[in-house]
Amino acid sequence: MAHDPKFIRNFSIVAHIDHGKSTLADQLLLQSGAISQREFREQLLDDMDLERERGITIKARAVSIHYTLDGQTFELNLIDTPGHVDFHYEVSRSLAACEGAILLVDATQGVQAQTVANAYLAIAGDLALVPALNKIDMQAARPEEIKEEIFNTLGLDPDEILAVSGKTGAGVPELFRALIDRIPPPSGDVQAPLRALIFDSKYDDYQGVVVYVRVVDGTIRVGQKIRLMAMEREYEVIGLGQFRPREVPVQELGVGQVGFVVANIKQLSDVRVGDTITDAHTPAASALPGYQEPRQVVYCGLFPATHNQFEDLRTALQKLALNDSSFTFEPETSDALGFGFRCGFLGMLHMEIVQQRLERESDLSLVQTAPNVTYEIITRKGETLHVSNPTRIPDAGEIEEFREPYARVNFLVPSDNIGAIMALCEERRGDYIKTDYITPTRVIVTYELPLAEMIYDLYDKLKSATRGFGTMDYELLGYRPNNLVRLDVLVAGDRVDALSIVVHRDFAERRGRKLVKKLKEEIDRHQFEVAIQAAIGSKVIARETISALRKNVTAKCYGGDITRKRKLLEKQKEGKKRMKQVGNVEISQEAFLSVLEAGEA
Amino acid sequence: MTVVLAPIDRSCPADPPWIRPRAAYIHIPFCAHKCGYCDFASLAGADHLANRYLDALAAELELALDGPRPVASLFIGGGTPTRLNADQLSRLLATIARWFPLLDDGEWTVEANPGTLDPDKVDALASGGVNRISLGAQSFQPSSLRALERNHDPDDVSRAVALIAPRFDRWSLDLIFGAPGSTLDQWRDDLDRALALGPSHLSCYGLVFEKGTSLWKRRLDGLVRPVDEEVEHAMYAETIDRLSAAGLLQYEISNFARPGHESRHNLVYWANDAYYGFGLGAARYVAGVRSVNTRDLPAYLRRIESGQDATGPVERLDPEARARETAVLMLRRTAIGIDREDFRLRTGFDLDALCGPSLRRSCSRGWLEDDGRRVRLTRSGLFLADTVMSDLL
Repeated sequence: MAHDPKFIRNFSIVAHIDHGKSTLADQLLLQSGAISQREFREQLLDDMDLERERGITIKARAVSIHYTLDGQTFELNLIDTPGHVDFHYEVSRSLAACEGAILLVDATQGVQAQTVANAYLAIAGDLALVPALNKIDMQAARPEEIKEEIFNTLGLDPDEILAVSGKTGAGVPELFRALIDRIPPPSGDVQAPLRALIFDSKYDDYQGVVVYVRVVDGTIRVGQKIRLMAMEREYEVIGLGQFRPREVPVQELGVGQVGFVVANIKQLSDVRVGDTITDAHTPAASALPGYQEPRQVVYCGLFPATHNQFEDLRTALQKLALNDSSFTFEPETSDALGFGFRCGFLGMLHMEIVQQRLERESDLSLVQTAPNVTYEIITRKGETLHVSNPTRIPDAGEIEEFREPYARVNFLVPSDNIGAIMALCEERRGDYIKTDYITPTRVIVTYELPLAEMIYDLYDKLKSATRGFGTMDYELLGYRPNNLVRLDVLVAGDRVDALSIVVHRDFAERRGRKLVKKLKEEIDRHQFEVAIQAAIGSKVIARETISALRKNVTAKCYGGDITRKRKLLEKQKEGKKRMKQVGNVEISQEAFLSVLEAGEA
Repeated sequence: MTVVLAPIDRSCPADPPWIRPRAAYIHIPFCAHKCGYCDFASLAGADHLANRYLDALAAELELALDGPRPVASLFIGGGTPTRLNADQLSRLLATIARWFPLLDDGEWTVEANPGTLDPDKVDALASGGVNRISLGAQSFQPSSLRALERNHDPDDVSRAVALIAPRFDRWSLDLIFGAPGSTLDQWRDDLDRALALGPSHLSCYGLVFEKGTSLWKRRLDGLVRPVDEEVEHAMYAETIDRLSAAGLLQYEISNFARPGHESRHNLVYWANDAYYGFGLGAARYVAGVRSVNTRDLPAYLRRIESGQDATGPVERLDPEARARETAVLMLRRTAIGIDREDFRLRTGFDLDALCGPSLRRSCSRGWLEDDGRRVRLTRSGLFLADTVMSDLL
């Protein structure tokens, strides 16, 4: 088939989590004949275990669908996007490879925070939006009401909104027609030197790095010598292909086409997503506009629970980095925890996924410190420091200005819950911006919040405050100065560096008191008394004492008790596995994380 | 200390005592009243089922065993076995004696409660072959007996002892310390009054609030408070000191005896040897498999009467887990601890290869002592035995 760009359409599906994106994608494959009914199973595009468990598509993927409309065959390239708030950045890079997007909204749940956020991303990228209501087969579907919501939030014409069911396939032929009619074909120059946008990459044990591209100008061919413009590296194309959805090798990819390139690239760090591939002999004059590098906003220390596993952890992190270039890690030494790594993540969910994957795939027992953000500090000497580890924060006397990152957060909630959301934000030092009604019963409440106040449990709190109906999205705003201090924790007289946190001065005492109280609950009793203190500099602001463990003995153990008593002892043992010895005191994983919970009002 | 290892029955080397039982436990669930701390399979108000239960027990034995099994120890526990009347007791003992003939020098214990014994029952026990009585005194303080929800008076204990002592050389008292509201002085008084009765064996348990018991619920509701840990610590220390001064030597975490009067049956558990178990909720450990009968009396009766077994959960440990469990149980034997040779013989594992680092850790903290041959809890280790043991698993 000729690659006449006229017959190519490139699009994404943008949706809130659980609005049925993957099922609709499968349905598109099914109705185009790319997969059989038997293969039509849920979440076909998600192939990582963790994603399946969470229902989140983490890594963008691209599928080519061949669909015949009125006798003409079209190549429709579906570029998948993740739906979770942490992966905002990956959404924008997927959208950059498209001319259009299906805006998918659950007909039972309506517009959610990420619907709005992602729709705005698509509009900002000049994409043609094809709005569609999903799950219209369901009893609880409220199509008219939801169309109204879409109109009120995004200004899209209610008459243009399609109605589909990913599950039954109803409305899908109409959707295909709308995609072809409403999304413009790619507009690149067939004759110009090659320019292809790298929108994703992954690591494959056999092929090395596999690069996902969208050809903008010219043609890429097997055997061609290519150059990665930003990285200034050259490779030879040894394989090209498309996912339909199985890998199908092709000899070339022309203007507008989407596919993957294998070029003997050894590691993910050799490729920058957003870079432009051009021909090494006749290079293009300028690269395509790229996009931002992913930004790590949350950091934590990861330490092996046993001392001799540092190298194992390094190996495991390196292996994971092959598949996920969006987290960073560098060696860190803690007095309390020994050798480990300071890792940066796109958000809390990302952090949780990485940690779980590490434990699952490498059988390591890890101790994680409380997550924190990066602070910007102007020293008295006029230097600007970026510090993502509370331990490294200079003494107060050396700090001229202490700045922390802020985010603008949009909460989309039932209007009954405005009060609860406001209370949630006020206690987190939020600045109220505005409230917009999208319908009489649903509102978007906008706040500016210190990022540090939202990374831990804001999302969970939002869910419980709104009985699951609230959603949120955020964008980073930059640094703002605040009256911040480093709060240290001393256990049995020793400062435990890994427990240090940064807090606002006005909240320091309250938080210090809660923190030592929380630690008292989390640190097991020892055979001696253990003092827990919170201090700012040398000033102790709170103290608790854990009394000595005097008696820990099972009185009775006869024939009928043996199994049960053994299990109780095993539980004690299990609890110790994730303990870190700090001086003479054993501190549990939970204790390291409880530092954050103490932040609750 | 002169306590020695229980001799291993070498009569049948292919069938050592940790595989084929030389001990049997029989459970009698009936009680006059359910005590506040009790989480055993016991029931008050079900006495009308006693005869049917004894039939079922006989049927269960018949179903499980293809012939008589000579044993070195028998233990009838409850519940309250002496809740049965004299005739029922005689019948029970006859059934058991038929299936489990006692080897020479064998030990046969029956648990009894003060207030349930009379001369006829004592006679039935003695003439039925029983040679050891374990009497659940628990406390001599009316306030503690109330707190534990016991329904007998302090005086019932001495009355029971007066019935038992003339007929049995070996008898034991159970006591509980740390009843809600109790004081160290009261516990000293308990120990004095128990010793004054002249038992050759004493079991002294720190009160445990077992999940699901009446005391556990009352603690959850804030109606009772456990005694202060410091007080409990002092009570346990007092127990060890007072009893050893009186010639009752500690041989297990909660057990004290004149030399030669240790409970042979319980030593089977702490050697991790095999044992049979029959009756409601009874546990057994046969050929490396642990299993427990249902604790539901109607279900037990129904299943046995219809020719099925009454077994619930089954557990079979891999060799290493079994060895670790053995180490933990053996450490309960405060006088002999773990004997390296004996451990290797019974488990096939070298103790130091299996848990050397954690043994050394506890030794360096002063909780274990190691003479090269045996490892055992020290005095300070006794108080933190669970900390030491959990490290071995």
